[in-house]
Amino acid sequence: MRYKWKSGQWAFVLHRVSGVALSFYLIMHIYVVSSLYDPQNFDTVMAFLNQPLFKILEIGLLAAVVFHGLNGIRVMMIDFANATRVHAQIFWVVLAVSAVLIAVGAVPFLMHAGVLGH
Amino acid sequence: MERGIGSGGAFAWFFQRISGAVLVLALLLHFWVLHYSNQGEVTFEIVAQRLATPVWKTIDLTFLVLAVIHGFWGFLMIVRDYVHSKNMRLFLVAAVWTVGLVIAVMGALTIIGFHPPLPVAPPEQLGGMVQ
Repeated sequence: MRYKWKSGQWAFVLHRVSGVALSFYLIMHIYVVSSLYDPQNFDTVMAFLNQPLFKILEIGLLAAVVFHGLNGIRVMMIDFANATRVHAQIFWVVLAVSAVLIAVGAVPFLMHAGVLGH
Repeated sequence: MERGIGSGGAFAWFFQRISGAVLVLALLLHFWVLHYSNQGEVTFEIVAQRLATPVWKTIDLTFLVLAVIHGFWGFLMIVRDYVHSKNMRLFLVAAVWTVGLVIAVMGALTIIGFHPPLPVAPPEQLGGMVQ
């Protein structure tokens, strides 16, 4: 497959990469939550995941969720709302809004991880 | 377009969009409930309170099923786009379905099978019931 590196192709590739990452996260998430069968087991797992490392990784999760969700809305606008002609412009809006939401959303994670002061 | 093994056709295309829209809303709710209510604390007690109610079991089960189908259908589309060897495609499609089913069942068991542990009542409350 040949890619022409215009915005639509970037949107497509970023959507796929974030989607694959989210699906792998979903597998791990369901596995972790299955520890609910035992209260102590669950709290131990949650305490383990409270480490700074996982807080930093969760910023990546946030980024994938935000971009995939917003670009998904863009895809629906193109498919159902005749937005094909402005698909590139919507992509820049998706990127800008994603950047803001990820930056703002990262703050609590960084504070929790001790990277930013309380 | 070629309709090889693992191609879901127009229904898959439509389903990805509808489930995607629902998942955006479900994720907002999920995020709000887990990270804002209760000051973002996730302990067994807090999760158990929600998961003990039929309404939350239904919401979580719907969320689980839609998320797994959406994600694994995405994997199938990637296989369809990049894997052209018939045997490899058959193997990967089977693998995606297997992992998808296992993870869906695991999640469903967690949600449906969840029942909060019985509260331990102090002895004086049990009164004459304890012989």
